[in-house]
Amino acid sequence: MTAFYLRWGILVVGATILVVLTYRNYEENLATMTPEQVLANSPTEEIRVKGLVRGGTLRGELEEGRASFDLAGEKDTLPVQYEGPPPENLRELKTLILIGKWKTPTRTFQAREMALVTNYGFVMGAYIVGLIPLALFLFFMGRKVCLLYDEIKQSTLYQSESDTHVDSR
Amino acid sequence: MNKVIRRIQRYQGWFGAGAAGCLLVGLYLGLIASPPDYYQGEVVRIMYIHVPLAHTSLLAYTVLFGGSVWYLWKRDPLVDNMCHAAAGLSAVFTSLALFTGMIWGKPTWNTWWTWDARLTSFTVLLLILIGYLMLRTFIDDPEREARFAAVVAIIGFVDLPIVHFSVEWWRTLHQPQSFSLRGVSISSDLLFPLIMMSIGMSLLFTYMLLVRTQMLYLTNLLHAKKGRLLGQFHLSKADS
Amino acid sequence: MWTRGKKTGFLVSMLMVGGALSYLALGNFGENLVYFFTPSEVKAFTPEYYQKKIRVGGMVVKGSVKSHPDPVGLSFELTDGAATIPINFEGIPPDLFKEGQGAVVEGYWAANHQFHSNLIMAKHSEDYMPMELKRAGVELPKKDFMKSLVE
Repeated sequence: MTAFYLRWGILVVGATILVVLTYRNYEENLATMTPEQVLANSPTEEIRVKGLVRGGTLRGELEEGRASFDLAGEKDTLPVQYEGPPPENLRELKTLILIGKWKTPTRTFQAREMALVTNYGFVMGAYIVGLIPLALFLFFMGRKVCLLYDEIKQSTLYQSESDTHVDSR
Repeated sequence: MNKVIRRIQRYQGWFGAGAAGCLLVGLYLGLIASPPDYYQGEVVRIMYIHVPLAHTSLLAYTVLFGGSVWYLWKRDPLVDNMCHAAAGLSAVFTSLALFTGMIWGKPTWNTWWTWDARLTSFTVLLLILIGYLMLRTFIDDPEREARFAAVVAIIGFVDLPIVHFSVEWWRTLHQPQSFSLRGVSISSDLLFPLIMMSIGMSLLFTYMLLVRTQMLYLTNLLHAKKGRLLGQFHLSKADS
Repeated sequence: MWTRGKKTGFLVSMLMVGGALSYLALGNFGENLVYFFTPSEVKAFTPEYYQKKIRVGGMVVKGSVKSHPDPVGLSFELTDGAATIPINFEGIPPDLFKEGQGAVVEGYWAANHQFHSNLIMAKHSEDYMPMELKRAGVELPKKDFMKSLVE
């Protein structure tokens, strides 16, 4: 029985390390600003802004990687100039994450790259739903088998059937 | 104690360790080392858990089918225990595949659920398995229980090719097979974690099957030992 | 063989599972062999099909998507290669909705030969690759969605 709990202990430690590694890998992707925050704080460093491409504002040559549009938040919108690799996923009424800098003098956001909404919540949800029940199911099943071996070993009352000497682990 | 059970006891650890190793490596590759998809972005990582769960549920049903045929032929009660175990596991894997699929569907398709041919036929698989497990709880005579259950499992096998080919035969929202006669439609960066998780999940299933078969066998054995229903109990002559 | 309670329990549960199965088999599943109509089929609709809630699937025609601000929505065209129908959509389209990709649209076909909808489901294909490969122009083998519609 001790060996059984020890094995599961090792597995839990391994899984925890993996969770920590995963979190640290995506930590920087989690931080995004809203258009309102950008307008209020005028940050100077490179930032990630999340918002919706306003309908009817998208202009430019997408194949050459140049575009301008308005990025809408809850209340305010941000004028955006994009210059970078040809955007695969840019279209109107789509929520995107833009990576770039806020230019205070021209009051535009200069984006160099864009990313899809990360949806980490869904990914995390799927892994929790998929793996936790499976692990619990196996844990209780394995424990039951250990207990059954113990019980069979102890039930010497009906020893008449030849061999009941199994090692319970 | 049965010879086969003793052998299972000795070797099952390797499957467990292999499953744990493959799954941990697969999770690392899938969650950290692999790039996001060009079209779906980060959500594509749900594929590495959803697809292995789904294919393992079909693998489990195939084992159930093979075991049922074998049981009807040889009438070995241990094989019946294995069938019972495979059915329980298949039901678990099927439900988890459905749930992870729903979570993948919302951000990609924009719906949690829709009654297209793939989703419907997969739900039918779950219902068949629930029916199978219910049948087993409600029949008292073990010999009869095993026989009826095997027949149900063999009839239910019809659904498996329907599940697999539904996306090729009919118009569905679900995307077609990524592995088909057309070739492999996944680039190597995203393929490797998927294969790793699939191998890991198959090993995990094998390990769980061994553990669960033992569990069912030992429960029966214990009942027999306690002297209950000794006369009609369903244990092979080789055991006593 | 049976105790009384078990027999009742067995019959009730078998009825439930059997009922659910036959409901799916006879009603839902038969219907879902035609999960969505194609634009050609919709165009050939006779008036009794107008205003009925249906699904249409097809490819979003490149360059056809126009957004309008009030009420927020899109108009675009859906094609199966043989026929093209105009779609009027109200709402925010899903993330994976894109020109040149598959979409399944729920709504109704009106007498003025416009399809009105407020639910778009994006149909993604079975190829997966990182952005770098896509930008390098790599194409992986996949089922031709348009061809599968006309057949």
